[in-house]
Amino acid sequence: MQKAMNNYSKIILLIIALWTVFSCSKDENLNNLDDTIYVRHKGADMPAYIHGNASEKIFLIILHGGPGGIGLSYRTNTIKSDIEKVCAVVYFDQRGSGMSQGSYNKNGISLDIMAEDVLALTKVIKHKYGNDSRFFLMGHSWGGLLGPATLLKDQSDFLGWINVAGSHNPKGMYFEYIENFKRVAPEQIDAENSIDFWQGALDLVNNVNPTQFNEDDGAKMNSKAHDAEEIFENDNLNTKGNYDSDKIVFKYNLFTMYWNTLNTQNILDNDLFRTVNYTDRLSEITIPSLVLWGRNDMVVPIKFAQDAFNNLGSTSKKLVFLENSGHSPMTNEGELFAVEVIQFINQNK
Amino acid sequence: MCMKLKLRLLMLFFIVFIKIGSAQNLEIPELPTSITSLSFLERTEFKVSYFGNIFWNNGLNFGAEYLLIENEKVKNRKRGQRTNTHQFLLKGNLGFTTNFAAKTDTGVFTNYGVTWRRTNKKGKQFSIELNPLGYYRSFLPETYKVNGNNVEKVFLPGRGYYAPSISVGIGKQRPGKKITGRYFNINFMLRTPYNAGSLPAFNFEYGYRFNFKKKRDAKSNE
Repeated sequence: MQKAMNNYSKIILLIIALWTVFSCSKDENLNNLDDTIYVRHKGADMPAYIHGNASEKIFLIILHGGPGGIGLSYRTNTIKSDIEKVCAVVYFDQRGSGMSQGSYNKNGISLDIMAEDVLALTKVIKHKYGNDSRFFLMGHSWGGLLGPATLLKDQSDFLGWINVAGSHNPKGMYFEYIENFKRVAPEQIDAENSIDFWQGALDLVNNVNPTQFNEDDGAKMNSKAHDAEEIFENDNLNTKGNYDSDKIVFKYNLFTMYWNTLNTQNILDNDLFRTVNYTDRLSEITIPSLVLWGRNDMVVPIKFAQDAFNNLGSTSKKLVFLENSGHSPMTNEGELFAVEVIQFINQNK
Repeated sequence: MCMKLKLRLLMLFFIVFIKIGSAQNLEIPELPTSITSLSFLERTEFKVSYFGNIFWNNGLNFGAEYLLIENEKVKNRKRGQRTNTHQFLLKGNLGFTTNFAAKTDTGVFTNYGVTWRRTNKKGKQFSIELNPLGYYRSFLPETYKVNGNNVEKVFLPGRGYYAPSISVGIGKQRPGKKITGRYFNINFMLRTPYNAGSLPAFNFEYGYRFNFKKKRDAKSNE
């Protein structure tokens, strides 16, 4: 009888111990969050991968590029090693991207609806982690268009906006590609850097339609701009990208990912480069803003960095060029990138 | 004009039909095998297989096949007669796949259809499976539904998709054994509607067939 009592008491003690441990674990986990939650909004289920230190309930939402990119591609280098120590970073697969799924027609995916998705994400985070949660928004490339589209709907929950090589003016991209290549290519040829490549780039832009948007020409210049990223690295003008992929290749089914990317781009790109330009509305964004750009960015030329900075309505704003970076300064110069981002978060949290 | 076109198409159809029919008569004397004497369990085989694409999705697939029609076709070749068994089977599957590296790609599926299978005298098999009736249910981690300012947690989150599929594969028959055959298929499944379109997916299937009746027979023989 006494033996049985002893056994029972041990079991009860074990249960109490486990209960105590797990009841405390929620608070402990806030210091090092590792959550995957889905946001269901307007026919789409979109994953948000949340990692890092949420002890101060500060969340940095990263809007990926593309359209059709993937959230976790940004969990690399110093974003993972440094920025996640300062705040919780939310890597979000947008509608029709990555491992998002759902059911909607072609009208169900647009810049407008995707901006509402981001606001829906903030509501979910508040619901799960508390109403005192506060947000910073970072947009890279296409995310730099989706960011302003979101903030122009409602910026009240956001403490700051970080624009990383963001394409707030896709309509102006085509003509700026021509101007930018005509500016950069002769400089590189004079410096005897990859002469064949830059001569080819000059030939390309000298043969595109200079007065009217042409989809094929636009695609060729965009492709050339992406090639230039590697050329700058090979010529040691950009620091070699540091990709610490976080086993990303296993987390995303590449077939699903590419299929989603193709479909999403097919739908969104139709009007994007012909009609969309947020330059004139940037003045309505009044929260503190940081504009970060790689000096050698050919994909979203540096003219747009100055445009963004000049037009943002924030009284507290800063423009930073990373001198040895291209379109992805977070991988080219991760440490400088993290220093700027962390400083901005600390100043405005 | 339209009527003439229809008549011509009709004529063409008849010619092709007669040509195929006569060609079959010339080539293949069919020797129907009686399967009606077999019991339900003898006509039914069960199967279990790996189902996935190795890199991302991995899972299991369970199924059953009911032999509907079987006939032997004899062809005269230079080296002599070649006898192949052709079968039509009704089949159903129930399976699941998941990505162990992420929580974002887990699903259960079921599908129903017809299998055509050819088996040569060495027991080597080639099969084509058509599954016009298919359903895929994804299972998502913690999910919150947002409607205006209202946020609520979703119970059993995930989505259902119409998921027809087709498989093409090879196999080997093992007559008289507990495990009556093994097979390798390449499966193409479509999930629709998925986002603003459909999602195609390729998977491999490697598995074994077994028959409870034969298993009992084998035990009784021991």
